[in-house]
Amino acid sequence: MMNNSVSSEMTYAKIDQTVLDTLSPATRPYWITIALLLLGILLGAACWLYQIFVGIGVGGQNNPVAWGTYLINFVFWVGIAHSGTLISAILHLFRAGWRNPIARAAETMTVFAVCTAGLFPFIHLGRVWVVYYMLPYPNQRGLWPNFLSPLVFDLIAISTYLTVSSLFWYTGMLPDLATVRDRAEGLRKKIFTVLSLGWTGEHEHWRHFSRIYLFFAALATPLVISVHSVVSWDFALGIVPGWHSTIFAPYFVAGAIHSGLAMVLTLMIPLRRIFHYENIITLSVLENVAKTIILTGLIVAFSYATEYFLAWYSHNIVELETFRWRAVGDYSLQFWIMVICNTVIPLLFFFKKIRTSLAWLFGISIIVNIGMWFERFVIIVGSVAHDFIPHAWGLYTPTAIELGILLGSFCLFFFLFILFVKHLPSVSMTEIKETAFAGENHDG
Amino acid sequence: MTDRHHVLGLFTDDSRAAAATDRLRQSPWQLQKVFSPVPSRKLTDALKLERSRAGYFTLCGGIIGFISGFSLAIFTATRWNLIVGGKPIVALIPFFIVGFECTILFAVIGNIIGMLALTGLPRYDNLRYYDPRCSGSHFGILASCDADGLEGLTGFFQQQGAEVKVFD
Repeated sequence: MMNNSVSSEMTYAKIDQTVLDTLSPATRPYWITIALLLLGILLGAACWLYQIFVGIGVGGQNNPVAWGTYLINFVFWVGIAHSGTLISAILHLFRAGWRNPIARAAETMTVFAVCTAGLFPFIHLGRVWVVYYMLPYPNQRGLWPNFLSPLVFDLIAISTYLTVSSLFWYTGMLPDLATVRDRAEGLRKKIFTVLSLGWTGEHEHWRHFSRIYLFFAALATPLVISVHSVVSWDFALGIVPGWHSTIFAPYFVAGAIHSGLAMVLTLMIPLRRIFHYENIITLSVLENVAKTIILTGLIVAFSYATEYFLAWYSHNIVELETFRWRAVGDYSLQFWIMVICNTVIPLLFFFKKIRTSLAWLFGISIIVNIGMWFERFVIIVGSVAHDFIPHAWGLYTPTAIELGILLGSFCLFFFLFILFVKHLPSVSMTEIKETAFAGENHDG
Repeated sequence: MTDRHHVLGLFTDDSRAAAATDRLRQSPWQLQKVFSPVPSRKLTDALKLERSRAGYFTLCGGIIGFISGFSLAIFTATRWNLIVGGKPIVALIPFFIVGFECTILFAVIGNIIGMLALTGLPRYDNLRYYDPRCSGSHFGILASCDADGLEGLTGFFQQQGAEVKVFD
């Protein structure tokens, strides 16, 4: 029985060969891409260094908009991280076989996106050298973190998420690392021998591995939901109009999965083409991602509508003004970009012709990512810029330093991902084999 | 133990490997290990494996994590006894979030410790009686016998349709 998420031409040997071929020595265009991305990272690092030496004032944050691009980027990257765990853990629990070809790349995306996100609280902090004040340890200053603060919840949630997703990613990769070890030579063999921890696929290995992988998925599922809920409480626990809402947790979780799925398409479509994964990452897999984007897009649209409904239903003039201003005020362009990109354009995936066209899939995935970045802009900046007292209203525009750091973060994410796909198996050979066949001859 | 011989039978599908495993368990030869590139339900049934006990490590980790997270939050809050945001000094709901995150973190660490403890990984001396094809497309059954039984064991694997590899 072939699973329709993998082409019927594939055998175990062909699956291995297709994935192992991606680890062949890199060509010149690859290294040029790496060099350009490194340049972008250095630019971002230089901007941050400049900010450390000159002060946080080089950014556009001001009174009343003290939370700007850095926290927008933080929420954006945490959001991107979410669909990796959705695909690897939640869909694993639901036994959705179509997630297997993209699970590894999505998990990797999660790890690198959390790493990127994790940099932004440090950048936003300004005086980054006092970051250790956040750590709970006995100290001469007699200071302890305030565990009532959602910012401290966030520190714990994000560091837990990074640790769990990294361990999940590495543990899931052990059988594949052994496959690479068994086909490598020289230094690469030595490296993969160490990395694979001596995995042989003997029955005792599989017996315990299958069990702990299931527990990993079961633990990662509530974690992923809690992490973006905690991120949403950074805002919802404040009394700022536009933030102080009980729907923020599910609203943020749905938005995070929406943006993460879009990023999965953005990464998978070129990966599929460059590494000739057409027989593994089939069109039906991408189509399923597109269908899930319709669902998350509709949830996000429902959340936007609910926010307006609650503002109207509350008869609270501050809430009413905040939401009126969002749609027609100074940031109305960003608001409408958000609405159209996140809720209207993904509906095009209802048409089979569009969700089976690589060009459309790729284009819409980028549009959704742009829309989701602007969603965070509208929520974060739009709320504090226009809160209770008219004479305290103000506007915010990112400076070149902030944009440099934004560019650097994108370059860092893609740099890490591109390094990964060329040096480690970017598709889980084991999971593809596991679900693609049942009781057939596997020798190819 | 020096006169023991190790023989590996390599199969291209798990059904035949499972059937051979079943027969081998009823034979005088000693079944050592079964290698497979993927987890196989058929092999698990043939080996009559019990469910892994790794979950106990996970559970212990989770309990330790919950108690640690909650205790840490309570301990730090009672260092100053300062009312913040109108909440009690020991505020159960916010501290539950800290406890929850620590539960997951420690449960996952327990999970990993469980896997390493039960599988014996990392271990780099276990590739001696192993064939690299077992991580690709072959299912391997490793059995051992004394010198007198070598011919019989080799013949058994051949009869089952396996490719045979004899280790020195």
